[in-house]
Amino acid sequence: MKSHFSHKNESLTLDVNPLGEGYQIRFGEKTAEVHFASGADGQLTFYLDGRKVDAHVSSDGKRRWVTFGGHTWLLEKTSGQARGGAAGASSGRLIAPMPGQVRAVNVAEGESVEKGQTLLVLEAMKMEIRIQAPMEGVVARLAVVEGQTVEREELLVEVDEADE
Amino acid sequence: MKKRPFKKILIVNRGEIAIRIIRACKELGIRTVAVYSDADKNALHVRKADEAILLGDSAPNESYLNVEKLLNAARETGAEAVHPGYGFLSENADFAEAVTNAGLTFIGPSPEAIRIMGDKAESKIRMKAAGVPTIPGAEGIETLAEFESASDEIGYPVLVKAAAGGGGKGMRVVWKKAELPDAIESARREALNAFSDDRLLAEKYLPKAHHIEFQVFGDSHGHITHLFERECSVQRRHQKVIEESRSPLLTPELRAKMGAAAENVAKAVNYTNAGTVEFIVDPDTHDFYFLEMNTRLQVEHPVTELVLGIDLAQWQIRVAAGEAFPYTHETFPQRGHAIEARLYAEDPENNFLPSTGVIYQFVEPSGPGIRVDSGIATGSEVSHFYDPMLAKIIVHAEDRATAIQRLQSALRHTVVHGVITNIALLQNILDHDDFQAGIVTTRWAEAMLGDLRASPNLAFEAIIAASLVDFGLLAASSAGCESQSSSPDPFSPWKIASGFRLRRNND
Repeated sequence: MKSHFSHKNESLTLDVNPLGEGYQIRFGEKTAEVHFASGADGQLTFYLDGRKVDAHVSSDGKRRWVTFGGHTWLLEKTSGQARGGAAGASSGRLIAPMPGQVRAVNVAEGESVEKGQTLLVLEAMKMEIRIQAPMEGVVARLAVVEGQTVEREELLVEVDEADE
Repeated sequence: MKKRPFKKILIVNRGEIAIRIIRACKELGIRTVAVYSDADKNALHVRKADEAILLGDSAPNESYLNVEKLLNAARETGAEAVHPGYGFLSENADFAEAVTNAGLTFIGPSPEAIRIMGDKAESKIRMKAAGVPTIPGAEGIETLAEFESASDEIGYPVLVKAAAGGGGKGMRVVWKKAELPDAIESARREALNAFSDDRLLAEKYLPKAHHIEFQVFGDSHGHITHLFERECSVQRRHQKVIEESRSPLLTPELRAKMGAAAENVAKAVNYTNAGTVEFIVDPDTHDFYFLEMNTRLQVEHPVTELVLGIDLAQWQIRVAAGEAFPYTHETFPQRGHAIEARLYAEDPENNFLPSTGVIYQFVEPSGPGIRVDSGIATGSEVSHFYDPMLAKIIVHAEDRATAIQRLQSALRHTVVHGVITNIALLQNILDHDDFQAGIVTTRWAEAMLGDLRASPNLAFEAIIAASLVDFGLLAASSAGCESQSSSPDPFSPWKIASGFRLRRNND
């Protein structure tokens, strides 16, 4: 049985197969035997090739927060289908990195912009977040107005790459 | 039995500082009233207080900054005194005055002292007159041309900052003339938002400087003393990240000189209650300059509390009630070393964007010499309305090296799920040779960011742990759950009941 995750755009596949006691886990070249010890209240203890592992895990939809050895990682559960392709073409689509309010809009649709130019300013948690052009191009679409409240991942502005 | 300074106090703040003040009140036998906004109805400070009053809409102007609503809350609950915490209205002289005019006690300095120190230009002029060294700069300037000529005279780099400033808001470092228009515009906008006051000033920016501040304390009987220093040079965008006491830079002579200067600053405005005098110090020449005075309890007050063994929040309350502050700095030796790390909900790898969400798990570190002042618990929601600081982890040990080690261990045992935090960044700072050598200056963290925001590679164990959840072996944490139990309890009945094997689930 396969478990698929992604972490920072990297796909990870874990192959989990039952053994007499516990499970055999395959991850790339690695093989290990896992015996489960206990799990409750977000705390998990298991044995990895006989070595005790204490971890904290929380589920949040498809997201998995995992703490082990003093570090926390955020993994996303995926279907295992290959992704990619569309990413390059849509990189001019600038979305709100977090909920907030549009403080300033510095450009208009159809305007040419330089790479790194501040297109608009978002305010969230009393901080200013500058939304900058990822490349030289033209503002194809301006999806927000000054003062507007936006949700996380809402489209703010779209920049079309300049033709060379 | 000690006399209670007040019967009931209204705390007009939220998060960890509201809880810190509630704790101080409880020890003094004072009842506490919390206030809260819609976004905070399940917040920890509301649960911890004896009473709580809803202010309304989450926007700060409709809640924690709304003077009328706050005074109504005081009247409604019969509170005798108001503690402002830090941030929000803590340095708003009009608020302090309104509290006093309503017949209540404001736990803090006089409105006049707040007003003078809150005006960064006015306070500089006053401190110059009082013989306190101040940094070269220009106040009362407005137009771009004025800023340009002032900056030419001061010499680049200059710092453009809000006259009403504090907490790193409304501040821009300008390295060359061409950057001035943009810096002025954005500093002005930020200043207007944060302080409702868009006046700016310019001053010399020392690229290589330590930020060292002195705690001061005054009472209503004319007694003013300093309570030693805090080194706060680890900063990012003028936001402090790690603070400690003692400062690795100060010699006993320099400490005595700066302590005396800090007392002079406080005396110049007949200061009462807790305050902090901030200096910047040139590590090569040991020249120091008055930066500003914060007329409130600081975020980083716990390092002073640990090194001196004194409860500053309690003394704020007692002094506000008219009690004499019985100590001077000579009362206390600086015992050992204390360090505080600020835990922020932000993503260092993604331009430090604040991270919002529900806290699925929060496990505080504990042990000898570890103190946690936190504003969250499992189930808390971190919203975009307020400051992203979640908690402060503070340690105390016999010396600096041991304290660093203790903080590293404490951070390894801190678990936050639900929002991205700066724990890895804090660990990278503590682990760095420059920090361990105590030679960090205020621009260091910014300059080293490339190294400091690196996070460890994903561990095999972590991937396995993530996959085990999907075998139903771990009751998934539910959003918004009321459970507050976040400390690992080896005798929890959950554990006993869950001793099944992985394979059984697959039968």
